[in-house]
Amino acid sequence: MSRISKLKIGLASCGIAAGGDAVLEALKKATDLPIAEVGCIGHCYAEPLVEACLDDGSSIMYGNVKADEKSIANILSLGESGRFEIPAARKAKELLKVLALAGKIVPTKLEDYIANGGYEGLKKALTMKPEEVINEVKISGLRGRGGGGFPTGMKWGFLAAKPGFDKTVICNADEGDPGAFMDRSLMESVPHQVLEGMLIAAYATGASNLVIYCRAEYPLAIKHLKIAIGQIYDAKLNVFGDRSVEISIKEGAGAFVCGEETALIASLEGQRGMPRFRPPFPTDRGYQGKPTMINNVETFGNIPVILRDGGDTFAATGSEGGKGTKLFALAGDLKYPGLVEVPMGTTLNEIVFEIGGADREHVKAVQTGGPSGGCIPVELFDTPVDYDSLRSLGAIMGSGGMIVIGKDRCMVETARYFLDFTHRESCGKCTFCRVGTTRMYETLERIVAGKGCEADLELLEDLGKKIKAGSLCGLGQTAPNPVLATLRFYRDEYLEHVNEHKCRAMQCNALVDIALDKDKCVKCKICLKTCPVNAISDDFIIDPSICTRCNSCLDSCPKHAITRVAKGDK
Amino acid sequence: MSIEFFLDGKAVTAEAGQTIMDVARANGIEIPGLCGEKRISKTTSCFVCVVKDRKTGKFLPSCSAMPSAGQEIDVTTDEVLEMRRTALELLLSEHNGDCEAPCTLACPAHAAVEEYVRAAGNGDFETALKIIKERIPMPITVGRVCPRFCEKQCRRNIDGEPVAINEFKRLAADKCYDSYMEDLPELTGKKVAVIGGGPAGLSAAYYLRMQGIKAVIFEQMPFAGGMTRYGIPEYRLPKSLLDKEIAHFSKMGIEFSYGKKLGENLSLNELKSSFDAVIVAVGCWQASGMRCEGEELATPGIDFLRNVVENNCVAANPGKVLVVGGGNTAMDCLRTCVRLGSPQVICLYRRSEAEMPAEKIEIHEAKEEGVEFQFLTAPVKLEKRNGKLVLTCQKMTLGEPDASGRRKPVPEIGSDFEIEADTVIAAIGQKTDVPAGIPVNRYGCLAVGDDGVTVGDGLYGAGDCVSGAATVVEALASGRTAALAVVRDLLGIPMEKDNPINVSRGKWQDLSKDELVVLRDNLSAEPREKLSFIPLEERKTTFKEVCATMSAEQLAKETKRCVECSCSDKADCKLRKFAGEAGCKADAYSGMRQAPSYDVRHPEIIQDRGKCIKCGICVKICKEVVNKSLLSLQKRGFASCIGTAFNQGLPESCRECGECINACPTGALDWRKKR
Amino acid sequence: MKKEFDFLKNIPNDPGNLIKGLQLLQATEGYISEDGIRAAAEYFGRPEADVEGVVSFYAQFKRVKPGRFQISVCDGTACHLKGAPLIHEWLNQELNLKPGETAPDGVFSLETVACLGCCSLAPVMSVNGKVHGKLDRKTMMKILKEYAAK
Repeated sequence: MSRISKLKIGLASCGIAAGGDAVLEALKKATDLPIAEVGCIGHCYAEPLVEACLDDGSSIMYGNVKADEKSIANILSLGESGRFEIPAARKAKELLKVLALAGKIVPTKLEDYIANGGYEGLKKALTMKPEEVINEVKISGLRGRGGGGFPTGMKWGFLAAKPGFDKTVICNADEGDPGAFMDRSLMESVPHQVLEGMLIAAYATGASNLVIYCRAEYPLAIKHLKIAIGQIYDAKLNVFGDRSVEISIKEGAGAFVCGEETALIASLEGQRGMPRFRPPFPTDRGYQGKPTMINNVETFGNIPVILRDGGDTFAATGSEGGKGTKLFALAGDLKYPGLVEVPMGTTLNEIVFEIGGADREHVKAVQTGGPSGGCIPVELFDTPVDYDSLRSLGAIMGSGGMIVIGKDRCMVETARYFLDFTHRESCGKCTFCRVGTTRMYETLERIVAGKGCEADLELLEDLGKKIKAGSLCGLGQTAPNPVLATLRFYRDEYLEHVNEHKCRAMQCNALVDIALDKDKCVKCKICLKTCPVNAISDDFIIDPSICTRCNSCLDSCPKHAITRVAKGDK
Repeated sequence: MSIEFFLDGKAVTAEAGQTIMDVARANGIEIPGLCGEKRISKTTSCFVCVVKDRKTGKFLPSCSAMPSAGQEIDVTTDEVLEMRRTALELLLSEHNGDCEAPCTLACPAHAAVEEYVRAAGNGDFETALKIIKERIPMPITVGRVCPRFCEKQCRRNIDGEPVAINEFKRLAADKCYDSYMEDLPELTGKKVAVIGGGPAGLSAAYYLRMQGIKAVIFEQMPFAGGMTRYGIPEYRLPKSLLDKEIAHFSKMGIEFSYGKKLGENLSLNELKSSFDAVIVAVGCWQASGMRCEGEELATPGIDFLRNVVENNCVAANPGKVLVVGGGNTAMDCLRTCVRLGSPQVICLYRRSEAEMPAEKIEIHEAKEEGVEFQFLTAPVKLEKRNGKLVLTCQKMTLGEPDASGRRKPVPEIGSDFEIEADTVIAAIGQKTDVPAGIPVNRYGCLAVGDDGVTVGDGLYGAGDCVSGAATVVEALASGRTAALAVVRDLLGIPMEKDNPINVSRGKWQDLSKDELVVLRDNLSAEPREKLSFIPLEERKTTFKEVCATMSAEQLAKETKRCVECSCSDKADCKLRKFAGEAGCKADAYSGMRQAPSYDVRHPEIIQDRGKCIKCGICVKICKEVVNKSLLSLQKRGFASCIGTAFNQGLPESCRECGECINACPTGALDWRKKR
Repeated sequence: MKKEFDFLKNIPNDPGNLIKGLQLLQATEGYISEDGIRAAAEYFGRPEADVEGVVSFYAQFKRVKPGRFQISVCDGTACHLKGAPLIHEWLNQELNLKPGETAPDGVFSLETVACLGCCSLAPVMSVNGKVHGKLDRKTMMKILKEYAAK
């Protein structure tokens, strides 16, 4: 019988949040076997994950591991219970290119990365002329993964065309979309892969300065990157013959608008992160006045793969609307939330239902592109996911956040949520964005409070179009999208709110009461004790004027006798 | 190197470094913009200057965008203008300030209250009178009889009584009226007939003359003044003063022709043929009845008052008097009866005191003079019995509010009772009697167009005959509008309109004391100055004017009570100017406004953040031109604002160079002292 | 510059390093004090008003001293859908705190953050940086109790 030679435990942020650190402590206590602290394999729903590597080269995975002795002993004895298998549907659809090493290697060990083919891409690039490298990227058809979808090779060409080496390449790691975590996972799990991509870019474009602008909310990613950068310097991987490049990390300080390149540069320069009018474009006058190019984390993550396998091979995967694979952060109302990598052109049906295991009966829509994106109703889930198909539906690929929205979610409230976010994140420079998004937000607040009217819908549409047309940067130009998209596909929900004061999803508190079904109630009084505001009387009558609709009683009721109902219904 | 591109389809040439806005200007097209300032780096924030690139369909801020060769730019298409209008309306929606002061906005004539109060407070009554007469050509009268729309909206109501605004008109006129003479322009040769010598007609004639048009006033009575003479009693407006006021109109070259009544000895067609235009301002001289059995036995209120005037305040003692009605005419009748020696004067009103349309002060003074009030009482029947009049009345209760917002009186069944009297006066209301041949609207008033005065075919209307019975100041305003309409049609001068954009911080009823923006250091906390009345006995027995004009010393104190609410930048504000030109509505978008925070810690400069458009020009001027960096943009999004270090206000190191103030497109940064 | 801010000298005083300096200040002091702003302005050669402008722009910087335990409730899309508003409601009921406030006893302070990147564990909150996922009312109360006892 095979024996365990090594244990691996997933300790990216999600693994730690699920209790992975406690499991690690318990494992350490129970065994002297080597334990590798690896990154994330993307199956967040099963965290904490422990992989027992056997001496025959195979391995057995355990999911949702608890830190108690019994669970640990079960793993060490290769017990049958708690074993984790990657769902077959996901195995069939997923194509791990960028994430191939994520969760398999120790992120902070350079030798682990190299042993698994790391820095092959850089090595190959250095044997080529810079323009040949750029050409390879052009052949690959890679488009920016940050959301814009601009052809990466072309962008590199612009910077390479600037004379000299006093140029900067910036990695935008300010993953600001709420609901997206692809970049975090990449940086935490395979920091060297991102850095390798950046080094290749530096070689190809003639840049001598590499800067990673990472959001401060990602301390683990920053830690791993810092270690990796130290290793690069030690191994002199940043030296290309007679020139060397500097690599540094700067932490963002919490501003969504800094995803916008001119704002990001202002922030790097120690200023308020406010975008400015272009031209001049950063390739002409960027960071510290020097030619500058910005790519996103995932874009850089693709570069070593392209160089290693060749641009043609890369371009063989994907669809007309986008080449290669794409990472998606799947979350919301589905069975298997996590990070997935699929070929461009995979349909939403495949991603949401087959990979994500969502319930077909329950799903209403999917939201892509976060606060800049739109939603796609379940009827259109045969849409292939690539830049152009999504844009034609008023949504955007964005950086890859994909939130599955169930039937019990209100689309108006969802739109309100995004406008709440964008109007607070607006830098305040452009009139349309600063005041316009605030007015849209206030209008949506009115509607979810049951105080809207039909004219409000026209106001939202009119103002939305104007904000898109009259804003300097991507934030304002896309902020109305969640509203315009929901108005397009879910106008009936809006109309119900304004005309009938009804929220069919029973989500908008102002339009909902909490009701108790006397037939189901067993008078256990748990709800009475749970209610934080004492809104439930001894004879189980809920006072709607006291009730805050906090759902505490719903969650506590053992008989599920309490539900949310339309206001006024009993 | 120059390039060629297209503005609204017209080929133009741009030199290197020129923005689209620069080129447009060079070609005679002014594009409005708030955030551009040549001496500093681009701010590109307001988006008022957008133009459209026809090919890409994108809107570009023309202050920042450089044209490219062959580019086709739309500058004045409807779509572009609408984008601009929306940008301005969004800025207005967050603007938290007052363009004009609420008193001025409340005044039907839009008199520049703050300005004349300040001038008079500085002792310059001549200037004060000049400012007043720009809108109110009868300051002696209005200074005495106006119901003071302005004072009702004065923000000092928040913490006490309003500034005694109307007294400024009275004193300025008392002091300077005799010596004052307008700068009269030369006559143009145009001639206008004005029918009716009341305030509307006088005002129309006045403002026509101020534009070089000669007016002839045709008056049915032997004297001019209309209701100010025949309706307002001597004790409120002495005839000697009214005569003085009207004499000035003659001095200005306005002609009067008395005893002329349209349809009797005056023909509209003849007037039309011998004058360039005709303004009808015949007033409301027909009293409404009590609408009950025997109403013909009652004396109409205005007839009663006119009779007293025509007999120089000498009239028979009317005995015990009942006056039916609750308006100002009723008060005038009641108090006149007191002075004629009535032993008992009773006012009957069908609602309660709170609903009475008469001025509070009038009611108060009537009570002081011994008038009795019976509220919730309505007449049912008037009859004559044994030489006495007997009025049957009915008790009323107040029901639901009616169309006017006042609670509707409902009769109490079986509550009838009788009151005996010698005289019953019906002061219910007045109607106009539009002369034959002039169109009438469904309310029985003279029918006019959208501008409120133009009838058509060289005919105009003004005053009570257009609006129904109203106040003197409203008649003056209407007369002025009619004059301006005539000037427009005869001389082709567009009607000067008050700026349509008036952002307001709200009515005083909705504001708290600490929301007042106080620029002056010496705002007085003293109570309102009191009027001095003649002894009550004298009031009850003579027709002497009841109170004296306030003294200059008193008014100097009142000036210090003025908050000076209007914006220091109201004349220069670019936001107001462009919004007005673009046809914006100040309330197109509703929602949260900027916090009303203003900073007067600096002795010379006020920072009024509620008016800031966040363009950041001031920050850049201070940094890039003055080299100081005392200001910075702070916070973000809707909350962003211009601040100073540690929010301590502008520090001493500010040399008060005024660069930021000059560059500020609105009144967000300004000199504290109003000039 | 006050001596207590000497730690800033660990960073080159290039004006572009201001944000880095402010992050160090906050990491050291827990928040950004007025003296801290003065020190940063002096050290990095930036006007004080300017520094205040930068501090107030970024959500990360706090101008008031936070509590011993900083609760950050994630309001990312996934968390919002999975009940972040309810978490706020519960916290408000339990601690009488609204986002941006610190309890009078200085134990807890509460803030909302955009996204902690743990969407698959939604709803989540972090306490002093430690992320707690899959929250319901019961687990949240338990977590609060544990910290309060520390």
